[in-house]
Amino acid sequence: MSEHTSPHTPIAVGDGAAIPHKNDAGLFTAWRIAFFGAIVLCLFLAFGRPDQYMAIFMFVPDGILVTFKVTIGAILLAIVFGLIAGLGRLSTNRFINGAASLYVEIIRGIPLLVQLFYIYYALGRFVKIPDIFSAIIAMAFCYGAYMAEIFRAGIQSIPKGQMEAALSLGMSRSQAMRQVILPQAFKVVLPPIGNEFIALLKDSSLVSILAVSDLLRRGREYASETFNYFETYTVIALIYLIMTLFFSKLISIMEERLNEGR
Amino acid sequence: MKAFRTLTSLVVVFAAMTLTAFAAPKSIKVATDATWPPMEMVDANKQIVGYDIDFLNAVAKEAGVTVEFKNTAWDGIFAGLDSGQYDAIISSVTITDERKAKYDFTDAYTSIGQILVVPKTDKTSKTIADLKGKKIGSQIGTTGAMEVKKVAGVESKTYDEIGLAFEDMAAGRISGVVCDEPVAAHFALQKKEYKEKFKIVGKAFTKEGYGIVVKKGNKELVDLLNKGIKSVKAKKLDAKIHTKWVK
Repeated sequence: MSEHTSPHTPIAVGDGAAIPHKNDAGLFTAWRIAFFGAIVLCLFLAFGRPDQYMAIFMFVPDGILVTFKVTIGAILLAIVFGLIAGLGRLSTNRFINGAASLYVEIIRGIPLLVQLFYIYYALGRFVKIPDIFSAIIAMAFCYGAYMAEIFRAGIQSIPKGQMEAALSLGMSRSQAMRQVILPQAFKVVLPPIGNEFIALLKDSSLVSILAVSDLLRRGREYASETFNYFETYTVIALIYLIMTLFFSKLISIMEERLNEGR
Repeated sequence: MKAFRTLTSLVVVFAAMTLTAFAAPKSIKVATDATWPPMEMVDANKQIVGYDIDFLNAVAKEAGVTVEFKNTAWDGIFAGLDSGQYDAIISSVTITDERKAKYDFTDAYTSIGQILVVPKTDKTSKTIADLKGKKIGSQIGTTGAMEVKKVAGVESKTYDEIGLAFEDMAAGRISGVVCDEPVAAHFALQKKEYKEKFKIVGKAFTKEGYGIVVKKGNKELVDLLNKGIKSVKAKKLDAKIHTKWVK
């Protein structure tokens, strides 16, 4: 693919952790200091101060697993919701376009915390959804709206000529979308989706209010019985930091691989 | 002479005012998690009311202090005491050895026990152990949560507020709720949405005493409150408060 047919359009959405790029020396160094610093600090606390900290590290691992499950489940579902709603936002059908736009507007206007309560408790009166699934659905519903805007912007960033060329080759609109536009758009939307993933990982801590035993809930349970608030939340913060930094690095590597293919 | 008299009377009035200011009853700030009816809750007028509130007001009156209540989430209520945001906690706090190691308690002012609430559709379960393989809810960091965790094979689910646990049981996500007897009675026997759905099973299976919590080493306040508690009990004021709130 030549350079000018696919202009690299940066899309600034979300509040994910800064993803370090190789050429951004300052941020790259900061990433290394934070990531390895956090790991060293964790090891120091666990083995240097085992009386206070070892018990916390033993208490929270199943919470980390739940945090992962919620995050990964929610991001996959949010991508599906987002793609559907994003295409809907570009649709020329007035009804589909209206429905997709309404979804985006309503969801973006309600705080995630309120949505979580709503889907879990308010809808719980009518439909029976197991706890972890309602957490995943609520998170995906919210993030799907943001994801829709990313997909819409990503698709729109592909020059019109691409669609015109595909149509003139005899492709149908949906065929052109699937085979020409979307593959290019995916490359554009990958960085903002990576950002959303990291934001979602952090926001997943909100599901602890639903009595879902995620990392934060496990920490709160530990602290509320031992009263070691400082020690507990230090560990919880460090674990979240290590996870987000790890994933931001992973995403930046993925991006580099994709760019090499250009 | 007249001027002198006016001056003296002014001085006397001023002195009297200062004296009353000093003699005015000391005010203490007390935290409570008002999500634990009928012990402490927020009424329709957004006022914090309940057994503990009336009881502490009576104690304070006997001890000659005034109380300012502060509604605080249970999860972290002890941390707020550590950081000095309030002087004491009255929030149905059971006196336990673990808590006594970190905080000071007054004498126990009432005794209660933990009890199990299950849906009416459950005809067989009588104890926590009967619910092996199922989920039981309780409020985070309470003695109820500790009791659930003690039973192997039961999945413990902790909630920020006990009301959310009952709501989750109404939605069918959990099979039982463990909490203090009076709270269980309030939700399972009095609340009209739940009366039809839930029942209390068995007898209370722990013996616990509620105490007022203060920062470790605050002997002055513990003594003052204990004096008030003794006086309230001697006058049998607590029995009156009990009939008012716990039916």
